[in-house]
Amino acid sequence: MNFLTSLTLLKKRPLKSQGDRRSIKVGIPKFLNIWGTHQFWVGFFQSLGVGRIVFSSDTSEEQYREYGKGRITMDSCFPVKALAGHMGELLHKDINLLFVPMIYSLPSFLKGHVVDTLSCTRVMMSVENIKAGFLRERKEFEERGIAFVSPFVPFAEPELLPKYLWESLKEHIPGLTLEETARAVKEGFRALEDFERKMREKSLEIIRWCVKNNRPAILVLARPYHMDPGIGHDIDGEFQQYGFPVLWYNYLPLDAWLLEWLFGEEIRAGIIRSYFDISDVWTSSYSSNTNEIIWGAKFSARFPWITGVIRLSSYECGMDQPTFTPVQKIVESSGTLFFKFGELDETKPAGSVKIRVETIVYYLEKYSQDIIKKKLSRLGAVPSQLLV
Amino acid sequence: METKEFHYRAYRPRPFTKEERSKTTILFGGLTWKHERLIQGSLERMGYKSMPLPNIERQDLDIGKEFIDVGACCPTTFTAGNLARTLMTLREREGEEGVKNNYLFVTIGACGPCRFGQYHESYERVLEGLNLTDFRLFLLDLMQMEQSAPGGGLEISMPLTFGLVYSMFYADLITDMEYAIRPYEVVEGSTDRVVKESIELLYEKLKNRPIKGKKIDSLVWHVFTGYFVDALKEVRRLWDEIEVDRLRVKPKVKITGEFWLQTHEGDGNYNIKRWLEKEGAEVIPPPVAVWMDYLINMELFKLEDAKGFVKKYYLKKLAIGTIAGLYKMVYNRLRKALNNIPNPLPDQRKLKELARPYFHYRLTGGEGHMLIGKALYAYLNRQAHMICELSPYGCLPNTMSVGAMAKVLGDYPDLLYAPIEIKGDAEVHAYSRCQMILTEAKRRAKEEFEEVLERTGLTVEDIRNFEEDHPELRRATYKVPHYGYAGTASNYAMHIAKLMGRI
Ligand code: SF4
Ligand code: SF4
Repeated sequence: MNFLTSLTLLKKRPLKSQGDRRSIKVGIPKFLNIWGTHQFWVGFFQSLGVGRIVFSSDTSEEQYREYGKGRITMDSCFPVKALAGHMGELLHKDINLLFVPMIYSLPSFLKGHVVDTLSCTRVMMSVENIKAGFLRERKEFEERGIAFVSPFVPFAEPELLPKYLWESLKEHIPGLTLEETARAVKEGFRALEDFERKMREKSLEIIRWCVKNNRPAILVLARPYHMDPGIGHDIDGEFQQYGFPVLWYNYLPLDAWLLEWLFGEEIRAGIIRSYFDISDVWTSSYSSNTNEIIWGAKFSARFPWITGVIRLSSYECGMDQPTFTPVQKIVESSGTLFFKFGELDETKPAGSVKIRVETIVYYLEKYSQDIIKKKLSRLGAVPSQLLV
Repeated sequence: METKEFHYRAYRPRPFTKEERSKTTILFGGLTWKHERLIQGSLERMGYKSMPLPNIERQDLDIGKEFIDVGACCPTTFTAGNLARTLMTLREREGEEGVKNNYLFVTIGACGPCRFGQYHESYERVLEGLNLTDFRLFLLDLMQMEQSAPGGGLEISMPLTFGLVYSMFYADLITDMEYAIRPYEVVEGSTDRVVKESIELLYEKLKNRPIKGKKIDSLVWHVFTGYFVDALKEVRRLWDEIEVDRLRVKPKVKITGEFWLQTHEGDGNYNIKRWLEKEGAEVIPPPVAVWMDYLINMELFKLEDAKGFVKKYYLKKLAIGTIAGLYKMVYNRLRKALNNIPNPLPDQRKLKELARPYFHYRLTGGEGHMLIGKALYAYLNRQAHMICELSPYGCLPNTMSVGAMAKVLGDYPDLLYAPIEIKGDAEVHAYSRCQMILTEAKRRAKEEFEEVLERTGLTVEDIRNFEEDHPELRRATYKVPHYGYAGTASNYAMHIAKLMGRI
């Protein structure tokens, strides 16, 4: 019995008027691993025909101060604490369903090549933690007439994903069936894949530009939510102002011809089993974002025109902590420059960032051409596809 | 073209061969001295030389910080520092070659994204820092029954696994006895003496245990044999001799928290259990066995969620259910040999249900939902007056569940809950936080006892007189049933009242 047939056998709820759904206004906080999966949620809810999807704004000190403070029940890294601000802000918007998923595992291009693709434990648990801050004294969601829905979301378990989503949403979306939820999940994945493909194509364009003009690029190694200006403080943007193209590790091109050029030799030498194998440098490959950071570090160490790597990390980040030395060593093992902006918190250290960026730019300008040459000498002929 | 070799590679230990077994000492650590001594016995029976790491000391925190990346949780820092200190001492004594060839270190990994699954990354920094990357460090997966380290020198077989499980059960049970009895011992030091004697006796039993079968026959023998129960019956006789005075009114404090911190006994958690005892409390220590039970039951719960999607669902459910059932059965048989003085393992399904409104059970990492489940379980079943949760500085999952507890406390304002952050170097602060809540717990214990006296019409003197005619009541192994009160003295008074026919 295939998966969809098995779903049809499960109990269905009668479909009420589809029109009811248009009155549903879903609020989704733009926190933690919503970055990196937001297109899934857009595709998913659009497929279910809800009236509107409202995301909270980017993280900011003001948002945190106004809506978040006083709701933090336990100190932790800022990306987790920021959720309180996002949820609080959404409570003041025109929504009637607050959707805050507990993302347990993630979709990842490394799946099948690593032990697991789990979220950081704080990412998955953050919702229960922050929720308590809203509920400990009063039933804040109920009082505002907002349904609070926080499903358990295991992206790596395709059968269970629709089930958990359906169980948490069926009370709130009229006539919702498991079968329909499964279809919406498919739509969600399709939307996410489309988006990622476009992003990777963009990265490839940038890379080709670098090759054509023999210009260096910078790679950012961080968590996806460091793209949020309130979490990553736009540090990557500072480099763009100096004319350096910036690539993000999670949207690197994955074309086989490119990876063959970078990793093929190592596969043949028996060092790795596939282009996406990271076991040569990292054996505890449980955490999805960590795995991808490690893979990004390997990519950067090999790709000639990435001459500098910027590592962003939040203050008190327990997931990054064991990776600091390995990531730096992987990157530097090929002579690529490595710079870390650690301990990022709610306040942007604007002055010190500017000074550091200036220094880094100096080094990049001074050494990039040598680094490109050195890295090129390790590889075979540049693939023709890169020279387009 | 230059060489293609990139320099950085993950640490890979050189193989450990069967021939090396007799001359290589396995270093291990991370539990109490009781657990470690018994594990040693189990390993020796299988032909391994072994040595637990020395007790964790305050200096390990500083040593750890020197070697590993900044921002590590305190258990990682302490254990990494402890390993570093051990290797430095051994190197001084036996030289670099001696350490590399005569020792290896085995650590347990635990299938997860918190640092527990990544401890070895930090240990590797220690080896790099000490210039000992040739030293062998092996990571074993806790949930895999059969695996071996490269080279075949270390084989995790069924008999070894069961030896380790019994070591853990034994040490847990003795620890439970120890904490239930020491606060009431009449002769100071008698409990500690008997704990030592018990562990030595059990060490010998594990070291000399028969090895029956290899696979399923070994499993059957280990589950149903009387060997392990009989050993505990001998132990019970040692405890029979301890005289206790259960009329000392003490608040009962249940310890929960992060796995390493809560089970640890030493500087790593400011010796907080002993400190609580000194402050007049009775401590309920957390057994390691609960965590294993949690891991087994999680497999069951996950399977139940996937019903309809997994092949041979009922067969798989039966298989995991049987393992979970046997696990509990063995534990309970052993408890019975000690007259059920040690606490039973909590019902994992109940913990999951209690925690559900506050913490989803599938959020794994650290103790997951158990922290909330255990606190509520103890409160609702009147097992303890107060919960002391040990929360490591820099911990990933613990910070989240402690935060979620805020809602629990909103719903149960009467629950006395003391989350204590353990940094490793801020002892006074931790004690004073704990003290604040302990004061209230003491008041409650006293009130509760007075209520029992009033309800039963007994006086302390009446009970003393009754004890004189029934000296067996003052034996450490005398089982006092639970009458719905948290305090030992209260339940004891109720029991006497019952024996006297007053209730
Ligand atoms: S990965 Fe780091 S910053 Fe992100 S939630 Fe986890 S601990 Fe916090
Ligand atoms: S549970 Fe917390 S303290 Fe324990 S290893 Fe994981 S992160 Fe560290």
